[in-house]
Amino acid sequence: MEDKIIEVNFGPQHPSTHGVLRIKVKLDGEIIVEAQPIIGYLHRNAEKLAEMGAYPKGMVYIDRLDYVAALNMELGHVLSIENLMDVQVPERALWIRILMVELNRIASHLIWLGTHGLDMGMLTPFFYCFRERERILRIFDEITGSRLLYNYFAIGGVYSDVTPKSIEMIKEWTEDFVDKLEEIQAILGKSYIYVSRTRGVGKLSPEDVLSYGVTGPMQRASGIKRDLRKDSPYLFYEKINFEIPTRTEGDVYARFLVRVEEMRQSARIVKQVLEKLPQGDFYNKKYSKPMLVRLKATGESYVPTESPKGEFGIYLIGDGSSIPYRVRIRSPSFANLSSIPTMLKGYKIADLTAAVSSADPVFGEVDR
Amino acid sequence: MNLFFFLMSILYGIVKFLHINFIPFTYQGVPVGIWIAYFIVATIEVVLVFAFAMLAVIVIIYVFRKYMADAQNRIGPNRVGPWGTLQLIADVFKLIQKQDIIPTAADRTAFLVAPYLVFTPVVLGFILIPFGSVSILNLMVVNFNYTILFLIAFMTIAPVGEIIGGLASHNKFSLYGALRSAAQDVGFEVPMLISLISVIVLAGSYNANDIVTAQRIVPFIVPEILGFIVFFLAMIGRQSIPPFDLPESGSELVSGFSTEYSGMRYGIFYMANFGFMALASFVVAVIYLGGWEGPIFPGTIWLVIKGAVFIFIFLLTWISLGRVRIDHLLNIGWKYLLPLSIINLLISAGIALYFGGVF
Repeated sequence: MEDKIIEVNFGPQHPSTHGVLRIKVKLDGEIIVEAQPIIGYLHRNAEKLAEMGAYPKGMVYIDRLDYVAALNMELGHVLSIENLMDVQVPERALWIRILMVELNRIASHLIWLGTHGLDMGMLTPFFYCFRERERILRIFDEITGSRLLYNYFAIGGVYSDVTPKSIEMIKEWTEDFVDKLEEIQAILGKSYIYVSRTRGVGKLSPEDVLSYGVTGPMQRASGIKRDLRKDSPYLFYEKINFEIPTRTEGDVYARFLVRVEEMRQSARIVKQVLEKLPQGDFYNKKYSKPMLVRLKATGESYVPTESPKGEFGIYLIGDGSSIPYRVRIRSPSFANLSSIPTMLKGYKIADLTAAVSSADPVFGEVDR
Repeated sequence: MNLFFFLMSILYGIVKFLHINFIPFTYQGVPVGIWIAYFIVATIEVVLVFAFAMLAVIVIIYVFRKYMADAQNRIGPNRVGPWGTLQLIADVFKLIQKQDIIPTAADRTAFLVAPYLVFTPVVLGFILIPFGSVSILNLMVVNFNYTILFLIAFMTIAPVGEIIGGLASHNKFSLYGALRSAAQDVGFEVPMLISLISVIVLAGSYNANDIVTAQRIVPFIVPEILGFIVFFLAMIGRQSIPPFDLPESGSELVSGFSTEYSGMRYGIFYMANFGFMALASFVVAVIYLGGWEGPIFPGTIWLVIKGAVFIFIFLLTWISLGRVRIDHLLNIGWKYLLPLSIINLLISAGIALYFGGVF
């Protein structure tokens, strides 16, 4: 140890890297001199696989990108395909999509909140978060038939209708979710230890955010008010009242507050959707399931959507056959992770876990 | 009169009763029979103390798991034995079966010794705790004038094993764990010792038994609330349990100093942790809450009740708090606890000067 600087590899097998992130860190004592994220340990060729089958066949791979918010991934894919093919979707299906996507956003944020607590050394909020998430997964199980990877959004609608029983379940859930969330927030946010460890840590200025292409809650925590649900409304988001939480600090604590507030807003959206849900078909009768694989398309299409992690969209090129010529995935976690060297430089080892987990990376999506 | 002489006299009585003559050989001027009796009594006591420490560990780990599970909406251990009480035994058997992996690049001797260096002082510490007083018999294995100093010495040696284990593992995470352990020990040891000094000033004795009897009227927590806070926080820090679990810090340094340990060697670290918790809570109960002093119940029950209160507080902090950062931890140690303990020392010196007769 003549040289004072030690190089340590955090990951790819490490308890707090949320999967298989490897961070090559140069340490001077406890202080991080340089941090470099290295990715690619979960590369599964999702783009190429999606280019090898018919348009709806890509859905199963898109599902597995961000596996904790699979419906948000499906939404990006299905909107892009429908935009490419000019498919008309019945209103009820669109409302159901909003409902499902917002529920899944809450589930994803709950996982984030729990694992973030684990990274800060708190074991207990993890279980509370998973208890709440479990209820959402039961609702999904009732509606779609699966708990994690759904393959639910179809071209021209959704695969199955929302049943009265599931609406009862959702109503029951909306009644006390906000109270439960308050409880979970209090465990972290009212703890002096947590607040002192996260305030002023992992700072990103608005300029950094824009130059790295950081989107989603991280961007809004740095003072840039950009939410695609408001800025370029897809589905029926312009008919719904909700607010975009923003903070100006740009640190881990601000991200925590933004995500928790987003969950509240999502719960608000779910309530409104339940009121506005119209009767009717849940899929376009013109696009019956067996014929979906034979759909042909030409042209280009990209529909940006607001996934829990940030801007998510799929850029499709159709060459007139039933197989997409190119599927390019714009994954938010990938761009968010690129800000790690800036977030970590000059902070301590303990801040590494806080800052990395505040980016909420999910590796299925980063490596694709 | 302490437990040692009590057991010795019982043995002597048995020998007299059986009309066994001492063998008329002497060693260093003492009949060999006495040496044998000494040896037997010492063995019995070691077994007793070890059994008590192990019992405390088993009970605390079970309570910890159930309590934590209860706080987290889980059931906790419920398969092995009635209500899962034998879960720890099953765990120990599993750990013993596991392959004992020693890294090739590790410092072999130090790596092998380190777990025992943590575990042994914890068990030895139980020798010096006054468990009660039955008429003239002190339920204390060893009783001499500097008990409390030795007690603290045992508690101070234990983390050295963590440092040795971390340095010997030849792993960067272990190295960082060991460095943090060292920083934390230094940060907490000084305020802990100073607040202990103020207790000694008030009691006027280094003897644990005298410290207990000095609290017959007013326990030391009343005049020394500051010292109690300092000592208690330092005890949490010395155990390296959350919020001060920096040497291990599961999410940052993989497992800190014990990263490379597996099988029963890891199990020994784990059990030593809980043994230390029992020891620490008994020590706090002895020096601040008046140990076995209390009405109605016998002394030992009082000590266990008081110790259990502290154990529950330890477990509650473990369950509910996050981990502090290393610079915050050192700030707590040097900027807050040290001045507080010095103020407390001055206060108790004043009390001893003007109201010396009370205690």
